[in-house]
Amino acid sequence: MSETVFKRMKSLPSAHLLGAGTSLCAGCGGLEALKEIYDILGEKTVIVNAAGCMTLLTIYPFTPFRGSWLYTAMASAPAGAQGIRDALDILLHKGRISPEEDLKVVVLTGDGAAYGMGLSSTSGAIERELDFLYICYDNEGYGNTGQQFSGATPHGARTSTSKGPRGFPGYKKDLFAIWSAHRPSYVATVVGAEALDLARKIEKAAGLKGPRLIIALSPCPTGWSYDPKETVEIGKLAVKTGVWPLKESINGEVVHTKVPHKRLPVEAYLERQGRFAHLFSPQRNKVLLKEIQARVDAYWERVSQPTLL
Amino acid sequence: MYRIRFHGRGGQGMKTASRILGRAFFLEGFEVQDAPRYGAERRGAPMFAYVRASRNTINERGIIRRPDLVVVADDTLVPVSAAGVLQGVTEHTVMLINSNEKPEVWKDRLNISGQVLTMPSVAEKEDRLEPRFISASCAGVAARLVGVISRTSLKQAISAELAHLGAAVVDKNLAGALESYDLMGSHSGSVTPGHEVPAYAYQNPEWIELPFEDARVSAPAIHATATSEKMKTGLWRTMRPVIDYSRCNRCWWVCSTFCPDSAISLDDEGYPQIDYEHCKGCMVCVAQCPSHAIHAIPEQEAEAGTPAGERL
Ligand SMILES: Cc1ncc(C[n+]2csc(CCOP(=O)(O)OP(=O)(O)O)c2C)c(N)n1
Ligand code: SF4
Ligand code: SF4
Ligand code: SF4
Repeated sequence: MSETVFKRMKSLPSAHLLGAGTSLCAGCGGLEALKEIYDILGEKTVIVNAAGCMTLLTIYPFTPFRGSWLYTAMASAPAGAQGIRDALDILLHKGRISPEEDLKVVVLTGDGAAYGMGLSSTSGAIERELDFLYICYDNEGYGNTGQQFSGATPHGARTSTSKGPRGFPGYKKDLFAIWSAHRPSYVATVVGAEALDLARKIEKAAGLKGPRLIIALSPCPTGWSYDPKETVEIGKLAVKTGVWPLKESINGEVVHTKVPHKRLPVEAYLERQGRFAHLFSPQRNKVLLKEIQARVDAYWERVSQPTLL
Repeated sequence: MYRIRFHGRGGQGMKTASRILGRAFFLEGFEVQDAPRYGAERRGAPMFAYVRASRNTINERGIIRRPDLVVVADDTLVPVSAAGVLQGVTEHTVMLINSNEKPEVWKDRLNISGQVLTMPSVAEKEDRLEPRFISASCAGVAARLVGVISRTSLKQAISAELAHLGAAVVDKNLAGALESYDLMGSHSGSVTPGHEVPAYAYQNPEWIELPFEDARVSAPAIHATATSEKMKTGLWRTMRPVIDYSRCNRCWWVCSTFCPDSAISLDDEGYPQIDYEHCKGCMVCVAQCPSHAIHAIPEQEAEAGTPAGERL
């Protein structure tokens, strides 16, 4: 494994590049992850941003970024990234910019775009081996328009379009697997609450070429209904309960970077969020809780058998 | 026509307050319009919602410019000019402010000739960090002030609008709202409907003429970096995190890393400093600090009191 400059918490960046003053919600877990990521990626980047909460980072004439930013339609951020990469390559080829002036092309979208609307454009970009980093902040719904369900919404969660007593009937798509099946250079999951793990993965991703994906679980006080001060705690619980496995895949080899050896019961994570309140009151929905737990257990059971790849 | 504006911060429930009041008017046989208006649709950011109610067809549209009643859920918004609390307030307008200060203090401070009232006091909140859910109480008081809404209609409106939150929440809100409704009995009818305004008398919006330019010139491009810092999101805060430096052991990689808003930086000696111009008051740092060195205090206390949080 390659050397990391992030050996301990102390080596995390102590000054922050992403400007304050954005209009994202107080306690936004997506913003927390982006801030941590941007510290490491740095300003020599072009952020290609599809419609979503993060579009509101940059409202003319205000931007928190120190480098470039481009806004695209919801389904086509990877296509926008292709255009930028091509333009930079042409400028490099013609000698109009030096290699030092080259920029990293970074796609930034929510899960609505990453797991759903933008998949076709993403698939095409990976197929063309576009040299880009895709960051998906996954708040498990269409946050910016009032938390309708998306392809990333977990089973049983209440959203503004799944309000029934059993919540969302579908299951969260496995974007990690969808990307991996395309054989990209790098795929990883992170969460802002595990900052050191996040830093190492961003460092690694930044050092590679080709299509790379970071999926950042993004606790969302507004859409998940919890007090904003809980953002980090909920992120940590997602990892400790095994609901959000922290892992990475380099050239197809999957490594779990922080295995929760004594997994907490999923309730510890679910009961803190209003979007799962119907699983606990007026009565405990034992059947549904058991089903959610069983799926998490089955996942860890499966990955603990190294022969089954 | 009654024209009522509710001012609050995202998350305080003023949209719900306007829905409750609107429904209560409807139950009394009025025609009703109610709508929320957000700048940034975000928790903590100033927002308002408004209700029009009339016995006749309502042709008026858009933001209420001449309110008969202004309800302010959060008195820290009054001095925020962008929140527009005082917009169009005349001697006819009744102001209802949720505040610990007396109505006379506000009347004097704001130098307004109309009637000023404060919300009747309700039970103390248990957790200081938990914002009071005051939408039903605000709607209850507004319903009493207009004097044309019965207790029954108010009850029915609250139960219907909050039904999705479960019976316990409905009961708690009903209790608070009905208590407020009863307490304001002596002011029943103090809000009276304003005059009808003919369409031709509406104020024109303030248009700015922009000449058409080539897209390469006129497409909005920002050339400076991190200009978002010009936006003072510190105004969103209702609670302020204050560092007790005697307990701080300089593990900045906790608080400074987790602050979503880049609002915690380090001084030369490695102590964290909170940027109050931008801190939105999410309290993530308070919850995460391992030595409990960060306290949350109500913003008003902080503004009035000693310069706590400065390292001496
Ligand atoms: C093609 C298209 N459909 C719908 C919209 C409206 N829209 C804007 S943001 C948004 C939600 C995006 O959800 P997600 O990608 O999860 O990002 P989030 O809002 O959660 O940040 C939608 C539906 C749009 N901009 N474009
Ligand atoms: S809705 Fe959720 S993801 Fe969007 S800005 Fe608010 S907290 Fe962040
Ligand atoms: S987390 Fe708490 S103890 Fe650590 S530096 Fe911040 S304020 Fe000080
Ligand atoms: S409360 Fe703390 S974590 Fe939240 S914005 Fe303010 S300084 Fe940052």
